[in-house]
Amino acid sequence: MTHLWTRNGWWVRRLAVLPLHLLIFALVVFFLVKLIPGDPVAVLSGGQPMTPEQYEATRASLGLADPIWVQLTTFLGDAVRLDFGNSIISGIGVMDEMSTRLPETVELAVMAMTISALLALALGFLVVLRPRNAVSRVIASYARAAGAVPDFCLGVAGVFVFYSVLHWAPAPIGRYATSLNAPPRTTGFPFLDALLSSDTVLMSSMIQHLWLPIGVLVVAYAPMLLKLFIRSLDQAKNAQATRFRIASGASRPMVLLSVGRRALPSTIAMFGTIFGFMVGGAVVVEQLFAIPGMGEYAVQAVTRADFVALRGFLLVVGAVSLIVFFLVDVVTMSLDPRRRPGVATAGG
Amino acid sequence: MALALDTPDRDTRRRRTRRPGIASVTLVPAAILVLLAVLGPVLVPFSPIDVVDRPDLPPGGAHWFGTDSAGMDVFSRTIAATRNNLLIGLITTVLATSLGILIGLVVGMNESRRGPVGTLARGVSRALDLVQAVPAIIIGLVLIAFFGASIPSLTVALTVCLLPNQARLVRAEVLRVRGEAYLDAARVSGDSELVLIAKHVLPNSSWPALENASLVFGSAIVLTAGLGFLGVGLHPPTPEWGSMIAIGAPGAASGRWWSALFPAVALALTVFAVSGVGRRLFGDD
Repeated sequence: MTHLWTRNGWWVRRLAVLPLHLLIFALVVFFLVKLIPGDPVAVLSGGQPMTPEQYEATRASLGLADPIWVQLTTFLGDAVRLDFGNSIISGIGVMDEMSTRLPETVELAVMAMTISALLALALGFLVVLRPRNAVSRVIASYARAAGAVPDFCLGVAGVFVFYSVLHWAPAPIGRYATSLNAPPRTTGFPFLDALLSSDTVLMSSMIQHLWLPIGVLVVAYAPMLLKLFIRSLDQAKNAQATRFRIASGASRPMVLLSVGRRALPSTIAMFGTIFGFMVGGAVVVEQLFAIPGMGEYAVQAVTRADFVALRGFLLVVGAVSLIVFFLVDVVTMSLDPRRRPGVATAGG
Repeated sequence: MALALDTPDRDTRRRRTRRPGIASVTLVPAAILVLLAVLGPVLVPFSPIDVVDRPDLPPGGAHWFGTDSAGMDVFSRTIAATRNNLLIGLITTVLATSLGILIGLVVGMNESRRGPVGTLARGVSRALDLVQAVPAIIIGLVLIAFFGASIPSLTVALTVCLLPNQARLVRAEVLRVRGEAYLDAARVSGDSELVLIAKHVLPNSSWPALENASLVFGSAIVLTAGLGFLGVGLHPPTPEWGSMIAIGAPGAASGRWWSALFPAVALALTVFAVSGVGRRLFGDD
């Protein structure tokens, strides 16, 4: 039993603090939204005059008449049951909106992330193995300039070049042609649903509409991953362990495998952060290409000063990011046992 | 075996051969930018906030960069926006870096203490991690939406987004420095804890945040423009690159590239210029 615990304690402990982090996050969100100046009741009435009775009634219906302690506990209690309340403008439940919009945005981010990761892996090895090659010099300098050209600039340029000049991409409106119907909802992820329903027309329309936005995300964010991977590959390549492998006559693929295994953990550790960037980038790209998703919801909630919708939105985004961070930690710690929390204290 | 191993002396040789004349060239773009920010509003041929001609004129003749969909001069607006964007970037960098160093120092020095102070420090340290879990553009979006878009509110919102990373960098360094022997030596020789922090911990642990400052500056400028692009930045007609790109985006989709391209180029050049300054100051390759 104790053996099992020493083996698995590191990730169980990491899992146990996850709800605590979520709670702290929920508290921060609650008070942040509370601090925001402005009166939600006035927003709701749209500037029309209200009698004091009407005003009090609206305040009570929003739950704002209760003492702050009651408001906080109701908010937390509802959040545990995944009930984030109803938008004060549209009246639609925040959770209902989130359950359709979150998969849409996450799918976009995950697609871009997968392509970026594969590209970074392939290009990273190319740059480190053939440092004098002209192609790898170009790639290395692009990676070094990571983040200099923001996603929305690339997006506007992409729309201009590929839609208005070359006509390779359709008009930047939506996820698929407006004449087509949405896929039957099974998983909530639109592309996966189209794939599952084997609707080839819809799928090809989606690919036509999505290759440019995904390409924009990849070009904007893959360099960050690549820059890091090149650096850690370089370090791993020059480490004693590599010299030992070469000296002991290991074959070339084995040496490369060993270099890659030692370089990966620090890159994967960055994945959580890059995923956060991707979600943020997806918000921008969704706006530019008029793709429905979290971005549209956030911008709407912000422009209408809808505090319930914003609170729910922030909680959901925060929770997703925290879960991704958790998964990333578990993967890095399994790849590199030295990164597990207990190990450092045991060693000194 | 084509796996070329870098030897340490190759590194030092590269550093030694760097000539000061070439290095200072990297400062020229930044100097031009500062000049434009200061003199820009005087130099521009047209008013940057008024309709001056017919909309959607292509570049040439009177309007070097053309006019946008409202009929405002793109050249004048691109130049005039330099001041707004640089100002926000600069103040944000200074605030995020100095507050980040302060928080990093306090948290790092108190984190392993017992009692409420230690608990608070550990709580702040966790909270910094949590703020980083949410994409910066979303934090900015939320803060700006409610505090309204103005140069001070944008600066505060961006500081909140960019401060955690700076504080974390300093905290990690403080944790390393805290165990060094020279601190014990200073303590034994009678320095008070405050003097100790100011004289020894601060200079030895703030360098990662200072090195990162040029990156913070770049991020601040990109985020300002990003918020402008999403429609919650400085209100048009205030010249600002992000909102100019947003206004120009529908035009770019129908072939009128100029009103989005020029502010985008200005933005990219600025980020490059600033990272050039960062490399010059800190000798990172």
